[in-house]
Amino acid sequence: MIYADNAATTKISDLALEKMLPFLREQYGNASSQYLLGTRAKRAVEQARRQISAAIWAKPPEIIFTSGGSESNNWVLHNVADSYRGQAIHVITSSIEHHSVLNACQALEATGAELTYLPVDNYGRVAVDDVKKAVKANTRLVTLMLANNEIGTIQPISEIGRFLYESGILFHTDAVQAVGHIPVNVNDLHVDFLTASAHKFNGAKGTGILYKKSGLKLLPLIFGGAQEQGLRAGTENVAGIVAAGYALEESIATMGETTERLKTMIDATVNGIRKRVPCVKANGDPKNRLPGTINLRFDGVSGESLMHLLDLKGICISTSSACTSGNDEPSHVLLASGLTEKQAKESIRISYGRHNTLEEANIVAIAVSEAYNKINSVT
Amino acid sequence: MEKKSCYVCGKEALSKNEIGLTKKLLDKNSKRFYCLDCLAEYLEVDTAFLLAKVEEFKEQGCKLF
Repeated sequence: MIYADNAATTKISDLALEKMLPFLREQYGNASSQYLLGTRAKRAVEQARRQISAAIWAKPPEIIFTSGGSESNNWVLHNVADSYRGQAIHVITSSIEHHSVLNACQALEATGAELTYLPVDNYGRVAVDDVKKAVKANTRLVTLMLANNEIGTIQPISEIGRFLYESGILFHTDAVQAVGHIPVNVNDLHVDFLTASAHKFNGAKGTGILYKKSGLKLLPLIFGGAQEQGLRAGTENVAGIVAAGYALEESIATMGETTERLKTMIDATVNGIRKRVPCVKANGDPKNRLPGTINLRFDGVSGESLMHLLDLKGICISTSSACTSGNDEPSHVLLASGLTEKQAKESIRISYGRHNTLEEANIVAIAVSEAYNKINSVT
Repeated sequence: MEKKSCYVCGKEALSKNEIGLTKKLLDKNSKRFYCLDCLAEYLEVDTAFLLAKVEEFKEQGCKLF
């Protein structure tokens, strides 16, 4: 099997697995307990907090553990809505955000908040000037993703953040696709909140991260015990948190080498396909994008069919418009980037991770080309 | 509904699963259809594997099957 869908999730690293297992077996204590088994668990959670804060240039108390990226994103949006309950607030986001942001924004709209969904250019980039123009006197939050999950485009978050900081407007970035893959420094980005998810950087599923800048108000998400500074009660997912700390530390330590390998693999796949299928086109930003993610379009051939034919050969890639229940809506990201519905449905995403090899990238190129030819010859 | 036959071997009255597989794996708007054996040969997989895929697609709620 060749797994080329690392933007969906990643294989847990050997180190992260090794470090988390004791907390599922012999070190299973509750991190709130006062005896040794508990205090060891507590120490492990705090070590992970230090590892993660160091990776994004934050302070340990600024890291809050959650269940995943969707929870962190929802929390930030609900926090703004609840903090300004009864007031006419305005929130800015983009049209290509993850559904955990877009659907939470729609929920905000239903409660009376005004939302602005910024457009993107053909590369999927938000214009800094569009953010500046969209700001109103009652704008309370801007939420924009750092890197897009479908096309890999990286947004000018630092530039936008600098402007918003000077304007005194809260700024959240969904950095789920970015953390562990490209350098992320919360100070350079000028963000107040940042979301990350462990399973996207070779940690375990079920552990999310919310960075909250020191001094900012955040209303509790779950009431109960004093865990996570009293903001998110509930027994900590110690094993998952430990895995997240080691996985991110490892990703950061190997990022330079991994980035070069990923770029080489993406080039090999794209060039290999282009040699055999000249009509292939790349969606998204050719320069400002994640090193391991590429979104490709094939004229006249369904991305879903390509995905299924590759699956038959044991290769995992993705299409954002897969029909699972008779509903095959085209990707909102590709439509917002200027593609037609037909073009959006002719697109696939290949995303490599640190466990992939150049040999696999070459095999994927051949398999995609062969699948394209099989489908194209009957359509 | 009009009966479909296999584009390769001519097998007549293809089943809903055979028509669904052609549409799902090759093209939703396909005018050519394959029987299970010919599709397996064309895609270089065995028929049991394709039948397993049919069950997967049904479980996902795909209305082509």
